[in-house]
Amino acid sequence: MQRKIIPLAPRRASAWMMFLLIVALLIQACAPAAPSAPGTESAAPEAAPAGPVVNALGKEMPPDAAPLDQQVLIYPYSGWRTFTTIDFFQAVYERADALTDLLSDSLVRLDKNFQVNPGAATEWSVDESGLVWTFKLDPNLMWNDGTPVTADDYVATFRYGADPTHAWDFSWYYQGVIKNWTQAVNGEVPVEEIGVRAVDAHTLEFTTEMPAPYLPAMLLYSAPLQKKALETHGGLYNSNPATSVSSGPYKLVEWTKDQRLVYEINPDYKGTNIPYIQRLVVVAIGQPSQLLPAYEANEIDFVWGSGTLSPADLQLIENDPELSAQYHPHYGDFRTYYFAFDVSKPPFDNLLVRQAFAHVLDRDTILANIVKRQGIPAYSFLMPGFPASNSEAFKDTYPYDVEKARQLLAEAGYPNGEGFPKLVMKLRAEGPTPVAVAQAYASALKENLGIEVEVSNMDFKAYMDELNAKPTQVQFTLISYGMDYLDPSNMLGVFLSGGRHPWSNAEYDRLVKEASSFTGDPAERTRMFQEAEKILVEDAAFVFVYHQTPGDLIKPYLKGPALEPDNNGVAAWHWPGFSTFSDLLSGVYITKDVVNYRQPPQ
Amino acid sequence: MARYVLGRLVGVLVVFLIVSVVIFLLMHAIPGGPYNEDKVPLSAEAKANYLRKYGLDRPLWEQYLLYMGNALRGDFGVPFQSPTETVAGLIARTWPVSASIGVLALLVALPLGLLLGTLAAARQNTWVDYLTSATATLGITVPNFVVAVWLVLLFAVQFKWLPTGGWGQWQHYVMPVAALALAPMALTARYTRTSILEVLRSDYVRTARAKGLSERQIMVRHVLRNAMIPLLTILAPQIPNLITGTIFIESIFRVPGLGKFFVTSILARDYPMIMALMLLVAVVWSLVYLVTDILYTVVDPRVRLEKSRT
Repeated sequence: MQRKIIPLAPRRASAWMMFLLIVALLIQACAPAAPSAPGTESAAPEAAPAGPVVNALGKEMPPDAAPLDQQVLIYPYSGWRTFTTIDFFQAVYERADALTDLLSDSLVRLDKNFQVNPGAATEWSVDESGLVWTFKLDPNLMWNDGTPVTADDYVATFRYGADPTHAWDFSWYYQGVIKNWTQAVNGEVPVEEIGVRAVDAHTLEFTTEMPAPYLPAMLLYSAPLQKKALETHGGLYNSNPATSVSSGPYKLVEWTKDQRLVYEINPDYKGTNIPYIQRLVVVAIGQPSQLLPAYEANEIDFVWGSGTLSPADLQLIENDPELSAQYHPHYGDFRTYYFAFDVSKPPFDNLLVRQAFAHVLDRDTILANIVKRQGIPAYSFLMPGFPASNSEAFKDTYPYDVEKARQLLAEAGYPNGEGFPKLVMKLRAEGPTPVAVAQAYASALKENLGIEVEVSNMDFKAYMDELNAKPTQVQFTLISYGMDYLDPSNMLGVFLSGGRHPWSNAEYDRLVKEASSFTGDPAERTRMFQEAEKILVEDAAFVFVYHQTPGDLIKPYLKGPALEPDNNGVAAWHWPGFSTFSDLLSGVYITKDVVNYRQPPQ
Repeated sequence: MARYVLGRLVGVLVVFLIVSVVIFLLMHAIPGGPYNEDKVPLSAEAKANYLRKYGLDRPLWEQYLLYMGNALRGDFGVPFQSPTETVAGLIARTWPVSASIGVLALLVALPLGLLLGTLAAARQNTWVDYLTSATATLGITVPNFVVAVWLVLLFAVQFKWLPTGGWGQWQHYVMPVAALALAPMALTARYTRTSILEVLRSDYVRTARAKGLSERQIMVRHVLRNAMIPLLTILAPQIPNLITGTIFIESIFRVPGLGKFFVTSILARDYPMIMALMLLVAVVWSLVYLVTDILYTVVDPRVRLEKSRT
């Protein structure tokens, strides 16, 4: 299905840009030398103090870095919603959708190769049973009210997460992993009994339900709230600069609801994730369609591509060499889009029907015409680059083969689609790209198999209600899942019995559960996960379409080690982005080039 | 007159009551709730706690009475979308923003529309008329959010004269006000032209001419005043929409107004906000209609609001 995209208006701004640039340069050349701001590099060499510039945290700035007062990152967040928090443990889905989790250090953090490195924890170990983990905290960490960061802060934070009166939207995450977490969330035991304990001020102990070799990776989400502030002001204390307290690299200085969030470097930060950038301004942009114009007008430095850039935007970027060079696709959160069937009822309880559906999916055409650079074809669930991914092996399991599909459908008792019920494919408030993919597949089903499919893009909450209903009310859907932490136990856990979909396979369950807790040879563990994924693919209860490779727009004046190519040669703003969950935070700065794009701040 | 106004106000209260019951039942009938179950459903215990916290576990009639009781005392609750403020506080923060661009748009649209319409009527079937009519048709048919996107591309991206959006400086008003003003201006121009032409052909204008009044006197005293009546009918319903915020314009230009809450409150199942917005809209509409009806008597002495006593 070819979608023709007509740009709204010509966008050739380069001539104007050149003109303005020349004017700007002339003005600059004529103007008397401005006195340099305090703390910035002086223009006159004889006045300049010897040695490189260092920022408020004593970090040496690279030679091509802009002066400190221009180390300002201007980043968009969705102005459509009114966010309530910037803390993971308060609410994951009511959290601002960019530049959050900056006010305390997570126990671990990721680098651009998704390696788990020490964060607030300097080291960790697990006992022989594989159940008790000990994390040593960095004793230097301080809150900016002068009190030390202790294991008690972490314990209080985890108890808050498990507290059923808090009803945390991410409480499912540690269920079945941290001891007694599930029982606490269900109100069966007090939160004091969860397996998170302070051994001493700087030693934190986790006890798990079963061996969980992935616990350190999972503890990416462990940026603590301050116990004192939590008790005095409640979980929303960071929503107001007056009650906000930080032990992280930044502190909150302004939050004007629906408009702007502003952070400044925290001069009292004692941790190891030391940033270059002095100030972060997060601007609320209400319409995703306005991100590209704001970016082109140099009002923002970055556009987060996942789900925000429309097919029309992508076309514009593709046609513009300048924008094209600033477009950086990456793995995102290793998100996979897949069609899912309710296998508990006819007609999808029949494997032949599902196989027919699998064979009729033409991934190449869909990718070339709709998804374009925002994805790569998916033959299985785990995206290439994700641990245990085995994508190539599944390439020929259900290749695009219309004849085969017709034959299978006839065998199942529906020759030419006769007698096949009319279907409704429900979507979860999806953006333009998945909707177009769903429609393309629907027309392929109609054209090749004679099956009528109506695509219905639903309201988010109404969809989730129907999906989660037991029995589910979603018979046929296109949906996605993105990882929470970098281990197959997370992604493959989605398909365990009693989970998101009605599909249930005892052998799959056994393999995934055993592999998850397997502490032996990692290669053997990988093999077990791959065996499980084989069952998943072959049973065709899910037809995998594409892995999302969101592309971000990054202004060329953003530079630094974090943006250099990773081990796979991908140079991008890697997941999980600019927060204490990642060392991206300390690996990016603004170059002197910035003056060619925007005015220095007043 | 006072009696009439009082009677109308009582009627408004009855309408409020009916509307509030209907909205209350409707919003609770939508599937899903204000809690977040984006990835995995909450535990039964957590969900029960959440519902208990906001009184959502009680029977609907009890929730309704509780809400109305609190509302009468001026307590409209806490918006689920923004629990660090109150519903009243949120509206006090965002409504003036929406109202300011709405009122500015009206102040631009009305005089301009009147002027263009009068000019077009006075110069009927000349290029002035055609140009005005063409502009007016465009203004009515092209939705304001399309105009808004054009404005951004032209003035912000291409010429870089104005910021693409934002709030706090005078530059931020220009494009939203222009985009909002276009349709009411076009509407005003069209209706002004039509009514003036109609009035110009009426008997009393011919009589006025026969009396030897100057064209200017005829225009001001007879034509414009009478031409106002249909205009009032057309323009009044524009006002509530303009001053309570428009979602597209506000989200495109990053105006931190009330507009988006009309949609996000429903998406988030933010029951207290939905109720408050419903009441707000009902108040504004009722008042605008009441004022319009009173204004009819001012522009047209033949209109009587009370039953004649004969």
